[in-house]
Amino acid sequence: MTSKPTWISVAARMLALSVLLITSPASANGYREQGKTVKVAKSDLHVTPPQDWNKLSNRPGKNAETWTLDGEQLNDVTFYGGIAPGKPLVKERNKKREPLPKMKKDTLLIEIPELLEGTYRAYKQIGIFKLTSTEPSKFLGLDSVKFTYEYVDADNLTRLGEGHAAIVEGKLYMATFDAPRLHYFAQGLGAFHALVGTARLH
Amino acid sequence: MMRNMSVRLVSLLAALAPSAVLAEAPPMPPPYEGVYQPQGVDEIGFWRQDDESERALSNSPIVIRDEKLNSYLKEVLCKAVGPDRCGSTRIYVLREPIFNASMSPNGTMRVFSGLLLRVRSEAELASVLGHEFGHFEKRHGLQRFKSARSGTDLLSWASLLASMSPSYQTRASFQNLELSVYGNLYRFSRDNEREADLLGLSYMNNSQLRPQAASEVWLNLMGEYEASAKVRGLKKPRFNRIAFTASHPPQAERAEYLSDLADPGGADRDDGADRYREALAEWLPEFLNDQIRLNDFGGSEYVINSLAEKGWTADLWFARGELFRLRGNQRDLVNAVDFYREAIVLDPDMADAYRGLGLSQLKIGQRTDGQAALAQYLNLKPDASDAPMIGMLLPKEKTE
Repeated sequence: MTSKPTWISVAARMLALSVLLITSPASANGYREQGKTVKVAKSDLHVTPPQDWNKLSNRPGKNAETWTLDGEQLNDVTFYGGIAPGKPLVKERNKKREPLPKMKKDTLLIEIPELLEGTYRAYKQIGIFKLTSTEPSKFLGLDSVKFTYEYVDADNLTRLGEGHAAIVEGKLYMATFDAPRLHYFAQGLGAFHALVGTARLH
Repeated sequence: MMRNMSVRLVSLLAALAPSAVLAEAPPMPPPYEGVYQPQGVDEIGFWRQDDESERALSNSPIVIRDEKLNSYLKEVLCKAVGPDRCGSTRIYVLREPIFNASMSPNGTMRVFSGLLLRVRSEAELASVLGHEFGHFEKRHGLQRFKSARSGTDLLSWASLLASMSPSYQTRASFQNLELSVYGNLYRFSRDNEREADLLGLSYMNNSQLRPQAASEVWLNLMGEYEASAKVRGLKKPRFNRIAFTASHPPQAERAEYLSDLADPGGADRDDGADRYREALAEWLPEFLNDQIRLNDFGGSEYVINSLAEKGWTADLWFARGELFRLRGNQRDLVNAVDFYREAIVLDPDMADAYRGLGLSQLKIGQRTDGQAALAQYLNLKPDASDAPMIGMLLPKEKTE
């Protein structure tokens, strides 16, 4: 036997539904306007984009955020904002079964490229990844490491990448640019450099 | 009419369920029919699709284009299945760090680099390649396609019929039917695998290679899975459990029947371990590096130790050093230092071993020794991709 729904229960349901709709995460990707300083990767890292960028709503990790010009996987800039010791760069699919390499208290700048390599290889289960250069540089006004790499992604497309990383009080701050070797990498590299040049810690 | 339909459904279901394929004794390989051409509309279409995917594969950046390696693999396949059979396949080695190989209907064999890293002899490799060839010879791809098609056809008709009499009883029966059709498809796939295992083994029994190696492949793989689970703090894997959706028989079962059915007379035959090591020598460091960086400490250590059973080489010591350094606990770094030193004893010009040694020493407080090792790295490899960064770690007077 079922009782007839009263107006109170109907109203309660409508309310519940509207609350659900309001609180559901926004699926739309964001827009980052030229010249407006924004906080990235839920951290104290701030950038002032010299041109308009898109921010993807899917964040690869708790303290990571991806921006793109033409679309995901075409030219991705990923910011890692203050990855603390003991944390992986991106969210692990399964903490126990598929763990990723972690940032450590004693990680040296020269080991950051290896940390990224290990993360990419383990997360994507790929076999072709090569660090092509690693050199000292400046990022966020600090001593940092600049490195470039080449890999074949899970979609069988060869991509090139460049990363800038600095360690501040044991936390890793990094920006990477990943794009297909064909056309997109060379085309977007200038925009990436311009964007990274505006990165500041507040 | 309804009754007639249900009789048909039952007979269709029966057609889906293959008979048990496990034989008592190893079967002899069937006579080979020569260059096979696809028959009938299904197979012709299936092959056409496959030709297209092979065309894409042959241009893929993950294919290892090493003629020497490729012709060696072909030679091993020919040793296993005989020279008349092996001509109908093309082997592609893919740079993928997992244990796998596959065969598609038109004779495209894909061999993953993770498989080449894990097998330890020609005989072990031949048993896997023979298994894959068994799929080709028995046309399993086509059979699976057809069984999947009749299974899903059956379910479509059944869902139509079920919707005509919407009662709880019909719904429950439909769900049962759905489960049994899917269960059958997975079982069919497992039976195909068993059949290919047996056929592969009978090639081995009739070859010049040691057939017992077929079961050793699975024993070795189980050892690796166990080691990997142990370090990750997972429960010990159960190798005899068959999941509903398992496409392959469980490893323990395969190891058991392959060992039971291997020709005891062949136990003294050559397994070609030395030839295999020689052929893979150039690629081994690369494949080891791919494995180590997957962040699977237990599995990687098992693979390294298993390769080292026939003697430690500089490459193996170096790989072990890298594995420990990348895990990076203080105790690991101390061990890594020892392993890099072992590598350097066997190969004093191994630049990367000095790099690992130096970085590990810096992190355990042996600054002077560490810097000396890094300086040696730069001496041996002045144009290393990270030379400018390593240079920063050296005392000023050494870099100027």
